[in-house]
Amino acid sequence: MDTSLLLSQFLSGLSRGMVLFLIASGLSLIFGVMNILNFAHASLWLVGAYFCYSFWVLLQGYGFGMWVSIGLAALTLAAIGWVIEVVLIRRVYDRELPEQLLLTYAMVLIIGDLIKLTWGVEDRIIARPPLVEGPVFFFGIPFDSYFIFVILVGFAVAIGLWWFLQKTKYGHIVRAAVFSREMVSALGIPIPRIYTGVFVLGIFIAGLAGGVQAPVGSITLGMDMAIVVQAFCVVVIGGFGSLLGTLVGSIIVGEIYAFSILFWPQGALVLIFVVTAVVLIIRPWGLFGTPMRA
Amino acid sequence: MKKDYFLKAFGGAALLVVMTALSVGPALAAEPYHLGVNLAITGTGALYCKDGVDAIKLAVEEINGQGGFMGKHPIELFVRDTHTKPDVGVREAKDLILRDKVRAILGTYSSAVAVAIKPVAQEYKVLHIAAISNSENITKVKFSPYTYSVVPNSYMQAKAVALGVAELAKKKGWKEYVTIASDYEWGRSTQNNFVQLLQQAAPDLKLKKEFWPRLGETQFTSYITAIMAQKPDFVYGSVASKDNVAWMKQAKAYGFFEKIPYPGSLVSVSELIIQAKTITRGLVGLCRAPFFAHMDVPMMANFVENFRTKYGRYPSDWAVMEYDAVYALKQGIEKAGSIDTEKVKDAMKGMTIDTTRGKLYFREIDNQLSCSSYLGVVADDPKYPFPIYHDLVEVKGPDSWRPEAEITAARAKD
Repeated sequence: MDTSLLLSQFLSGLSRGMVLFLIASGLSLIFGVMNILNFAHASLWLVGAYFCYSFWVLLQGYGFGMWVSIGLAALTLAAIGWVIEVVLIRRVYDRELPEQLLLTYAMVLIIGDLIKLTWGVEDRIIARPPLVEGPVFFFGIPFDSYFIFVILVGFAVAIGLWWFLQKTKYGHIVRAAVFSREMVSALGIPIPRIYTGVFVLGIFIAGLAGGVQAPVGSITLGMDMAIVVQAFCVVVIGGFGSLLGTLVGSIIVGEIYAFSILFWPQGALVLIFVVTAVVLIIRPWGLFGTPMRA
Repeated sequence: MKKDYFLKAFGGAALLVVMTALSVGPALAAEPYHLGVNLAITGTGALYCKDGVDAIKLAVEEINGQGGFMGKHPIELFVRDTHTKPDVGVREAKDLILRDKVRAILGTYSSAVAVAIKPVAQEYKVLHIAAISNSENITKVKFSPYTYSVVPNSYMQAKAVALGVAELAKKKGWKEYVTIASDYEWGRSTQNNFVQLLQQAAPDLKLKKEFWPRLGETQFTSYITAIMAQKPDFVYGSVASKDNVAWMKQAKAYGFFEKIPYPGSLVSVSELIIQAKTITRGLVGLCRAPFFAHMDVPMMANFVENFRTKYGRYPSDWAVMEYDAVYALKQGIEKAGSIDTEKVKDAMKGMTIDTTRGKLYFREIDNQLSCSSYLGVVADDPKYPFPIYHDLVEVKGPDSWRPEAEITAARAKD
């Protein structure tokens, strides 16, 4: 087994991990700040992919059409996220987790049907522009050029979120709200507005992730349910609410998948769940989570 | 009295003559033949069906130029659009039969439609010729004597891939291969069939590794790199249609098909023409009726020339097969000496016909035409403005169709 082979497999695992990170980061952010477990996160991700397709159909005459479509999909989803927060999510902050899950799971079903009504049951395909259609070579190893973009977006989102939470005033308020809503509220900062902002940001990232996913293969119904479980594995392994944990968890899951396909293809999915279970047993709060959370 | 009687008899005879002249006479001279076409003119099937409809129109024009079927039954075409939806396809087929009173239906794009209209055609005693859809079940089980197929069916195509690959392997010195298949019923059975058929055709070829991505996989990158790491001589894939798009797109982005032959995916003349610039050279494709394989048959040479003159493009597999369907019907009517559907369907049973693909015959047990499947390496050709197949392997119908004993056994369960 030569090193170029391992590097090739590592890169494919990294790209898979980044796709997962883009979904899981919004999921983790929303849970970490608002304590809402948004089961419909991946469904909104899929809506982002479909919107990206629709924008691309309108813009495909232009060379930059696909890239602009990805951005437009993210912005559209941010707007949808705002509506969902104001109309639905806001009403269940103080409810128990099962009730929140019931609401977000209902959203999964409703969104699934809305997708069917809007875009139909046929698979949608975005043709990639020539720039990212073929392979690029690292030391003679081929790599799907589009995934370079995926990996860059993944790291950009990671750095952007870190910078926002650590370096900006709003980020400080958001982090403070995680620890004590009452104290932040007492300082005269409107908590509902902070929550709305965080939810919109989380769904914006979901939309961006959906847009980024759209040109990877085809866009099909049910894609969301296939990936949401793996996204949950990522946040469980990394620790809910931890940005660094989500990043590390994504890469771990992506690499486990890639390398088990190389050595033990039948067991690829099983291994992910085994690792998740082990983490749950040994460190229920995840690798980078904090054990005590209100 | 006698005179009266004579007059009456004479008048009656005269009346009979006039009536015969009025009713039977014109019928013999010019009763038109209502021919129904059930194809997808809009929707995803339009790409293939447009060529089919155009070829049918060309054939009808040619035959009507000689006065119609048997020189005296001009063809009237009734073309219905199925919108690529099975339910619409069935509805339109019924409409063709009941409203337009067609004697035969040419089609169909979707195998689901073909299977669904088969009993309807049988009930109303209408001929049904499948020329694009190719599920084996159209002719294998629940057999209808009114349904004929002029397209190599799914079993013939699968077996052709195994036989074609075995032959290519001999030519190219291939030794090891890898499979990738969606992890569910269709993926597993298709992979399993292929491995078994190939084992019989080329026992020396070694299956090195099997990959089973789950159904609904969206990202195949890790599979692609893992397969490339195996360095197989070729890869056989049966990835479910919607996952297949992702798989092909990502594999292409890895330069996979330039490195490793991937035989067996359907690359019809439509794909060769439409993707002339982008299609990967070296890809080992499978198709159903490529015109360039039979340019030595005068009927094909004529057809290609006439099709090009009329439409300004080359005919696809789908055009070739629909054209053959019309001429199969023509020869059936000529042999029967009548446009009566009962007689035509009996005449066509086991009949040998001239087609653009050479002399072929309908097998008695299932009305399947003994047509070939074709495999080849996609390569540029100076004669055409698009790539065609090189190293062409033609797997004949009688070498690839399902043994009759298996069909009898399958029908016992009907």
